[in-house]
Amino acid sequence: MIKLRNVTKTYPGTHVAIKNVNLHIKPGEFVSIVGQSGTGKTTLAKLIIAEEKPDKGKIIIGGWDITKIKNSEIPVLRRQIGVVFQDFKLLPKKTVFENIAFALQVSGAPVKKIKAIVPQVLKVVGLDDKEDRFPDQLSGGEKQRVVIARSLVHRPKILLADEPTGNLDAINVREIIDLLLKINKFGTTIILVTHNPDIVNNLRRRVITLDQGQVISDQKTGRYIL
Amino acid sequence: MFFTTLLRVLNFGFQNFKRNFWLSLVTVFILILTLFSISLVFTLNVVADNAIKSVKDQVDIDIFFDPTVPEDKVIAVQAYLESISEVKSTKYVSKEEALQKFTEAHKDDPQIKESLDELEENPLPSALIVKAQRLEDYSSIVINLDNSEYSHLISSRNFEDNQVIIDRLTRITDRIYQFGIGVSAIFILIAILVVFNTLRMNMYTQREELSIMRLVGAQNLFIRMPFIIESVLYGILASVITILILFPLLSAVSPYIDSLFEGYDFNMFAYFTANFWVMLGLQILISIVISVISSMIAISRYLRV
Repeated sequence: MIKLRNVTKTYPGTHVAIKNVNLHIKPGEFVSIVGQSGTGKTTLAKLIIAEEKPDKGKIIIGGWDITKIKNSEIPVLRRQIGVVFQDFKLLPKKTVFENIAFALQVSGAPVKKIKAIVPQVLKVVGLDDKEDRFPDQLSGGEKQRVVIARSLVHRPKILLADEPTGNLDAINVREIIDLLLKINKFGTTIILVTHNPDIVNNLRRRVITLDQGQVISDQKTGRYIL
Repeated sequence: MFFTTLLRVLNFGFQNFKRNFWLSLVTVFILILTLFSISLVFTLNVVADNAIKSVKDQVDIDIFFDPTVPEDKVIAVQAYLESISEVKSTKYVSKEEALQKFTEAHKDDPQIKESLDELEENPLPSALIVKAQRLEDYSSIVINLDNSEYSHLISSRNFEDNQVIIDRLTRITDRIYQFGIGVSAIFILIAILVVFNTLRMNMYTQREELSIMRLVGAQNLFIRMPFIIESVLYGILASVITILILFPLLSAVSPYIDSLFEGYDFNMFAYFTANFWVMLGLQILISIVISVISSMIAISRYLRV
């Protein structure tokens, strides 16, 4: 599903962010990418959604070499990868429903489709009773669930979550991780970027550990080793 | 699908306009100033063209003959002149006609009437009034005539004065025109910068929304088109307002301009009314070109995907 071959990315004027990384993530996997801040986790996430391009190496997603992606093709890629970030990136003046519908509107979906899909994804994340609330009226965990719902509207094959629990308390963290596991059960590949050892240790799934831009360990049912 | 997309993009464009309302208003105002200065140059050009044209229409050569030259000789000269291809028309004014016109023109002046009565013979020369095809042809007609066998019959001719007037008029209008174009160019530049800046501000206020759009895989169309629509909106609004101000203004100024052209067939307001749609179309075109150029620059600089 996702293959990285000898990928290197350097930001001008700074150290090497990603150094010679090789990875292979299979369809349906739940992979955690861990490491301390500044070890290149977020860079890796940005490379996968083609927000950054590698200096060297190849990134292949579903057989598609995205290192040579054209600007006009990026939206197509983004619709196949749902993205969830630590800062929720919800529009404060739109309701929960409208925030999710927005993602469909701007990709040209017809109204009928929007009306069908939004309630579905809200049900998946368990917010079907709060579709008329504004982001300000929601808790942190609920906001993050709205973001996850929004990332699901295009039925992505991959869900990339970069520190999705960074701003949340322990109970909400549990809820979000459970939700990711539920989505994973439907067959979606999950890539979870985190530096929270508890999450990783409880998950007992594959763990890739990054240090100074390099993969220093890749375990099938790993623990947080740093 | 196409229709929903179109509606949504249009809707986003209108939202952009409303969101920074005061900024939009200033942008439209600057565009109006620009269009106004261009219209002024255009109006000036129309007036100047008509002024020159009416002066040119009046230009002719009056060829005066010695009073002793008999009429048949004058007719022969007329025939000769008409055989020259540069000559458009000739008109023979006999001694009697000249006298009649002269007394008519000075009928309120008893002194002239008296002195005329004292003379036994008609003192006025017969004349030929020659019009050329083009203004440039006059000098060659004069040269032609001077070199012909008839040159000794001619006592005098008036021509040079007209050329001087036309030259002076052309110089003045050219100068005004150049100045107007310079001012318009400066306004166009300012307008491009202002529209550019407005769009940049709008992109800044919407950076969150735009980043979400990119994240969720919005088509580039949805990201870029609203800004183009916003700028086209500025253009259309500015042209319509400009026309709404310009026409009453022209109709108010028109009588004064027209009075300068007394005796000529020129009515400025009628000219602009007849060309209303062309003017509106041109204004819309100019303002849209200005704003779309600016939005393209803003988009390529600040909306990289």
